[in-house]
Amino acid sequence: MWITLLIAHGLAAFMLLGAVTHQTLGVWLPARTKSASFLNRLRSVPPASYVNAIVVLFVATMILGGIIYTNYRIGARLTLERGRFWKTFGAFELKEHIVTIGLGILPAYWYFWRAPLREEQARTRAMLTTVLAFVVWWGFVVGHLANNVRGLGT
Amino acid sequence: MKISPSYAVFAITFAAAFSVAYVFAVEYNWALFTYAPATGTFAPLVTPAAVGPAMYWYGWIATAAIAAAPIAALASLVPESVAKRIWPGWSWAIPIAVLFAFGYLLRGYFLR
Repeated sequence: MWITLLIAHGLAAFMLLGAVTHQTLGVWLPARTKSASFLNRLRSVPPASYVNAIVVLFVATMILGGIIYTNYRIGARLTLERGRFWKTFGAFELKEHIVTIGLGILPAYWYFWRAPLREEQARTRAMLTTVLAFVVWWGFVVGHLANNVRGLGT
Repeated sequence: MKISPSYAVFAITFAAAFSVAYVFAVEYNWALFTYAPATGTFAPLVTPAAVGPAMYWYGWIATAAIAAAPIAALASLVPESVAKRIWPGWSWAIPIAVLFAFGYLLRGYFLR
């Protein structure tokens, strides 16, 4: 069951990472031309279209992560301590706090992205999206690193 | 969907208050409840586990949410003329400051 949950957590996180990265690029570096290049297509998405998916995926990913965290606490975490992987250990400790801060900004993120978008709130939208992108990237990379040290099922 | 302007004040205040309440909950271990993963049992407030480690993270989140929700609800009652003057940037500036605070609090793991 734990491996199934871990895979589901990883897949949800992967989709969330893609959505929030698209949105962040669309906010800060919107495509100005109609070039068919990969980079241009990456940032030519309408950022507002990702909001509900990001909120749902963030909550779902966090719930799944919160469930498998119990297994990490009595398994992988002890391995990190015994092996003195302090940087990975600390990064994972930071992850739990960083994703919690991400959860706290979700209501504001959702509000400032609701239609119709107001021009005077563009900076707030961009910053909330950027903070959320940082949260998601940190969670994804650190979760992956911790899993490499001692993944579930190993 | 029509959303009341007071929701903006609620959302801004909640983001800021939740972040601050959470960092205090972690630093002073104000967990609303404790979970013992080895036995799968919950206990109120900060309770050492009978077997294995105790997890406070869920309790810290609950504490922060319970602290922030009424603050945000009260803030959302301010008149619209006051609400318009509230800087929406508090919704991201304070959470960013709290992220730095956590980096500082946990710096020991990266300096070993």
